[in-house]
Amino acid sequence: MLSDNDINLLAFTQTLELTTRDLYLTVVGLKTLSEDEGALLAQFHSHHVAYEQSLNGLLSKNAATARNETVFADFATRLSTSSTPWATLLEIENTLVATHAKTIESIESAKVAALMASIIIVEARQAAILATLTTSDLSAALDNNATALVAS
Amino acid sequence: MIALSRRELLRLSGLSLASGLVLAACGKQSGLVDDNAIASLGQAPKITPLAEAEVTDAVLLRTAASLEYNAIQTYMTALDLGILTGDLARVAEMAKRFTDDHQQHADAVNALAVKLGAKEYTCSNTRINDLYIAPALKIITEDGNPNPAMDIVALAHAVENLAAETYQSVVGLLTDPMLRADAIRIGQQEARHAALLAQILNPGLQGVGPTPNEKTGKPNIAAVPSPFGSLANIQLAIGKPKPDGSRITLLLETPSLNSLIYESVVCQA
Repeated sequence: MLSDNDINLLAFTQTLELTTRDLYLTVVGLKTLSEDEGALLAQFHSHHVAYEQSLNGLLSKNAATARNETVFADFATRLSTSSTPWATLLEIENTLVATHAKTIESIESAKVAALMASIIIVEARQAAILATLTTSDLSAALDNNATALVAS
Repeated sequence: MIALSRRELLRLSGLSLASGLVLAACGKQSGLVDDNAIASLGQAPKITPLAEAEVTDAVLLRTAASLEYNAIQTYMTALDLGILTGDLARVAEMAKRFTDDHQQHADAVNALAVKLGAKEYTCSNTRINDLYIAPALKIITEDGNPNPAMDIVALAHAVENLAAETYQSVVGLLTDPMLRADAIRIGQQEARHAALLAQILNPGLQGVGPTPNEKTGKPNIAAVPSPFGSLANIQLAIGKPKPDGSRITLLLETPSLNSLIYESVVCQA
């Protein structure tokens, strides 16, 4: 049984994953991408679908049903104006990692925290790979300077 | 059928009890000397009971610190071997950066352990070293291994995955939510290390997601092998290929009860 605190935090997390799912959808079919690039984006998109769905299952009737429109609009604009999506997607993944880690600070249930941790680990891997598509600078792949988003 | 009255039954049970007492009196306690007539095979080993040890937040943090030193030692050995050259010169640069990261991680988790009243732990995890890293290095450096440099990268990749899994797993064990967040902030960087090394072992975008090896059917190394962080054992295939093409495979597992750095464990550095 989730506490009210955990429900609020998880619903916020789910909202972000819904937003990210939709952001990937805006680029996954771009004709400028190679076949391998398209497959990579499809894989990462499917992961965010899995996160959203796992959180949906946990939250049950308390699940979020809509993305965060403000976050979506901000990143969608940047994705549409960039020649390649990699840098923006990197920032999205880094933001998710920072936000989910910040959320774990306040989550009461250890089991829920463990689920969040398993998501963070993969989002960090995805960030590292996206960074390699933008630069050969190791720091870009390893350091996360993104600011955590805060649940309102 | 024999019919026994209630009185006879009571008499019989009293007789049985008395017989038992007589037999017991004839045993060891009556002064009889053991003539060793009963054959025995071997001797039961003396058991040294483990000291009472509790898996506290500090123990989990000290264990994480020990793994950081395992990673540092792995990279130092890799660099000392001098085989990360040519196409793998970039890995040498990565190894230096990763070593710095691991030292920072070790300092950070040790600081958290000290905050909890525990002592810092600045040695590698002996059991992890004895079970996995030392045997792997022995196999890698044996004569006849056609590609020790790539095997060293594979070992580093496995150790990074082990570290990432360890941090991920302790999130569910730590009691303090702030410590859980601190742990995963470190763990996520280990995962980034692993992803980058995976790209050395299986380069290109086709090496990012999970794929099976066409010859063996086993999963290829992948930068992002699954949608959720795995806690399964880590396969490390190294050494000289056998005639059927297979290689020795070590299975690495995250520290368990017999490899945790309990508060009584002293670093012998």
